[in-house]
Order: sequence, then C-alpha cells, then structure tokens
Amino acid sequence: MRLVIARCSVDYDGRLTAHLPAALRLLIVKADGSVLVHSDGGSYKPLNWMSPPCRLTEQPGRWTVTNKSGETLTITIEETVSDTSVDLGTDPGLVKDGVEAHLQELLAVQLHLLGDCWRLVRREYPTPIGPVDIMCRDAANVAIEVKRRGETGGAVSGGAVSGGAVSGEAVVSGGGHVEAPVSGGGGHVAVEVKRVAGIDAVEQLTRYLDLLNRDPLLRPVKGILAAQSIRPQARTLAEDRGIRCVVLDYDRMRGIERDDTLF
Amino acid sequence: MKLQVERDPLAEAVAWTARALPARPTAPVLAGMRLQADQELMLSTFDYEVSAQATIPVAADEPGTVVVSGRLLAEIVRSLPAKPVDLATDGTRTTLRCGSATFTLMLLPGDEYPTLPDMPPTTGSVGADAFASAIGQVAIAAGRDDTLPALTGIRMEIADDTLTLVATDRYRLAVRELRWTPVQAGLNMAVLVPARVLGDTARALTTGAEVAVALATEGESAGDGIIGFEGGGRRTTTRLLSGEYPRYQTLLPSEFSAVAELPAAAFAEAVKRVALVAERNTPVRLAFAPGEAVLEAGTGDEAQATEAIEASFDGDEMQIAFNPQYLIDGIGAIDSDTARISFTTPTRPAVITGKGEGQPDYRYVLMPIRSAG
Repeated sequence: MRLVIARCSVDYDGRLTAHLPAALRLLIVKADGSVLVHSDGGSYKPLNWMSPPCRLTEQPGRWTVTNKSGETLTITIEETVSDTSVDLGTDPGLVKDGVEAHLQELLAVQLHLLGDCWRLVRREYPTPIGPVDIMCRDAANVAIEVKRRGETGGAVSGGAVSGGAVSGEAVVSGGGHVEAPVSGGGGHVAVEVKRVAGIDAVEQLTRYLDLLNRDPLLRPVKGILAAQSIRPQARTLAEDRGIRCVVLDYDRMRGIERDDTLF
Repeated sequence: MKLQVERDPLAEAVAWTARALPARPTAPVLAGMRLQADQELMLSTFDYEVSAQATIPVAADEPGTVVVSGRLLAEIVRSLPAKPVDLATDGTRTTLRCGSATFTLMLLPGDEYPTLPDMPPTTGSVGADAFASAIGQVAIAAGRDDTLPALTGIRMEIADDTLTLVATDRYRLAVRELRWTPVQAGLNMAVLVPARVLGDTARALTTGAEVAVALATEGESAGDGIIGFEGGGRRTTTRLLSGEYPRYQTLLPSEFSAVAELPAAAFAEAVKRVALVAERNTPVRLAFAPGEAVLEAGTGDEAQATEAIEASFDGDEMQIAFNPQYLIDGIGAIDSDTARISFTTPTRPAVITGKGEGQPDYRYVLMPIRSAG
C-alpha cells in the first residue's frame, strides 16, 4: 500500500474525458495495481481511479496509468508532500455476520437460556443440506416421565419441575410429540441462530427439521429459532409449524454489565 | 339462524369479542367470529392463546350457529345507524339488515372452528373498577419486547384475601396490592398473565360491578396454564406465561436517606416541559434541596431547559437523573395529588408513592440514570 500526498492535476482519457485541476490530493497505489485519487472529502469515493488490471508508469512529475482497453489516467505532480509505503500483508477478509457466529458460540454454552438442564450435542451439526447451528437435547421427556409417574413415589426435583414448565410449552407449540421417551433422556432440538430472523430463516430451519426427522435415531427433532429480533411474520409462520421462537439479548449474553437497570 | 337485536348491545359485544381476533390468522377460520343464537346470543373468538366471549340476552326466532369474518362484522356493526339489527342465515350466507342498509356476509366453515377452552373454576372476585385501575397502574411497567418473555407479563400473587400485582421491564418496577374476595380461604399462589391481554381485559370488564377470576388451583387441571376473567356478560381466557420471575421483593428499598413531596400534577407538567429538550435516551436531572426541586435537561452543546418547583424535602441534598418518560409514567400512576419520592443514593432506585400513612398500596420503583454532568 503506497500513500502519496501531492499537489497534482489529473486527466482521464477513455470512455469520457475528465480533468481535475491542480490541488493537494491523496494518491493510493494498492498492491493489486489499482490507483485511486482522493480529495479530503467525499467519503469512500475517489475523485478518479483506475481498476486493475492496469499498469502504472512513473516519470518525474508524471504518472501514467493504462488499462487493457487503452484508457489512461494521467497524473501530473507539481509537488510531493509525502510518499509512504507500508506492507499490509494478507487481509483476513470481511467476516460477515461476526455477531451471528458469536451468538451461536455464546448460546452453545448458555443453553439454560432455552431451558433448564439442556445439553449440547454439537455446534454446526451436519445435515446433507448444510450444518444446523446448534443441536442439543432438552429435558422435556425426563420431566414428563417424572410427572406421569409421580404417584408411584418418584421424587420431583426442582429441576424437573421447571423442565416440566418448558415441556408444557413445547407440547402446545410442538404439535404434541412428547410421548416417546428417548434413551438417555431429552429429545433432540435443532436451533437456528440469526441476528434478524425473517421468513427465510423459518424455511431454512424447516428444511433441516424435515431431513433430521427422517433419522429414526434422532426423531422427534424439535426446532427453535433463536435471534436478536424475530419479524412478526416469521414468528407467526414458525409457531404455526411448531417451532419455538426465542429472542436473544446479545449484550446480556456477552456479559456486558449495565448500570441502568434494577436487576 | 334468525334474530333481531338492538344495535348498542350488539355493537358493544362485537367490539369486545373482536379484540381477541388474531392479527395473523394461521387458519382462515380463526379470523371468524362465531355467533351462537338460542335462548341468548353468544359471540366468540379464539386464537389458541386468548379467547373472548360475550353474551347478549336476546332470544332467537330460529336458533343456529354461524361463523363470519370477525373484522368485517366489527366494522359493519360499528357504523350502523341506531336501529334494530336483523340477522338471518340462508344457506352459505348471513344477511344483516339495519334500517335501510343490508349487508351479506359469507359464512366460514363452522365445523372447523376450534373448541374454546373451558373456564377454570372461579377462584375469587374483585371490584371491576378497582381491578381495572390497579392493572392500569402496573401494566405501564411491563416489558414490551420478547427478550425476556416473563417480563411481558403481570405477576398476580394471591395470598388469601390480598392480591399483589407486579410488573417490571428492568428499568422500573410497579407493585400494587389490593383486597379481593377469594372463594376459599388460605390460598397461596402466583401466576404470570400476559400484560397486554390483562390490560385490555381489565379495562373492558368495567361494565359489571365485579370481575370473577378463574384459575385452576388444584386437581387434574392445576397448572394447566390458563386464567379466565368474567364480568357483565363477558368472559375471556388467556394462556399463562411460563418462566422464572425476578425476585422483586429484594429490589424494593426498605430504608431511605431522603424523602421529597411534590404536587403530582405540577411535577408531571414540569418534567414534560423540561424533557422537551432532552434528546432520546438522555435524562432529566433533578436537584432536591429543602423547599425546592430544580429540574434540568439538555447539555451545554444543545438546547437546555431548567425549571424550579416547590417541594417539601427532608434529608441530605440529592442530585439524581431519570428517564423522563419513566418518571412521568410513575407520577401519573400514583393515585394521589401529592407524589412522594423516597431516595437512597443517586445511583440506587428511588420509590414513587402517593402521600399517606403506613405502607402504600402502590409503589413504583425507578432506576436512576448515571448522569455525566
């Protein structure tokens, strides 16, 4: 990355011709060969530029940039104020939706946000059409068993009771497939994590659930859509399909302390 | 079905029942209102969460049950002239005549209409107006987003003949105690009712003198998760919320370092005025000294406002800052001409109550904002 601050005039000759009169400007020469002319304004947009592939020819007081189709950018330099080059190395690239990945990571270790005594199976659980963000097992069936056999002397622990409350919700929203106890306790739950969940997130999770429920070792697999915000249409569709919606508080999950709340 | 009914009772009953119509019905029939005519006319709506039912004492010429578009019926009935309304069903449609206006509504498939949940046995009753005002006092503090679903509810605690209503959105907490008449003595339980539904219900049930509260407390249906309210020919049920509720008692300060008393209306007006210059999410600052409270908002770089009002003040001088809307909500909710604010420190919650001796029946706990200035 080469940064030159110089008093220069610029002439572009190609599909159109343009002239910038002499003024102090920033010239950027990037490692990929691109040349950009910036003024001290106009945000990210250069006044003039040449995209790679192009060739820069430097003569005293004059730079000529030529591209494949013969267009030229001629920079006439009257005075150079500064000329620096820095090797930036390889850029790791833009991590799209870093928050989403972080939410997944945080939720995987904070499964209590979904229900008491839930256990992680794994993150990025593979399916033939791509990985599910989180696969876990709930405590619902355990709790149901305790409740149903309560009269025969089974002790109802605090955890099982609150698990029962969770299962009660799942029964209604999940279309009632809680009867078969899964060995090891706890039915499988596939969780799709989003920053903002729209209709497409519900469709995506529905496709995963469709495939996962074909596996006799996994089914019944319930679904949870967990997001910082869930669009009303998406919530309606999800709940109609028996998918539970959970709104996540990113700041709280990250452990950001707030001093403006009561608790 | 064939019957004649006066417009006013029909309009009121339809409007009340239509409140439980789902905004996004997942089955077309849920957008319907069911009309059952026999010895009386009963209107019902249900979206699997909330059900509403209203009864009009009018006998049908021909009994029958139909389901028609609820929203359409509500809009039509609302705009009818003040004349008797004739309803008659013929095959696949219902005709509504009022004066010289005639409406024809298509019938929705009545056999697909879901069964409404049974009303649990009555647990107790409470005066309709007192209940509505108590719910109004706490509902303002309930959470409105789903991040913590439990906070979108109003917690109803029953301890024998005392009913305690609690709501909090983490920034403020409202607690109201009132007397009620339980069916059986010595009952102790707590449930979480969606605040939006309870707020609507309480306001709408003031047509009767008393509201019956119905909650399964024991036996097979205990913890079934619904609560019912009934009064003045109307009844509604709603699913209860689950989830853990914060231990709010620990948030109520018990000792105070200073107490201020101000005329409630003038105080609220002054806060509103000063808050005009407060940018979004910025506080109104209050400085209390004996005889006076000075309100300030805005910063040196922006518009500023300041106003002084008379206040009786007892304790160490106090400088504290609040979210103006939350403060106005609290002052507006107390049922008194004089607002009493009790402080501990500028960074700990303050408590707004009405003026009175002993333990006030309504308390509004408000978290201050740390002010930079």
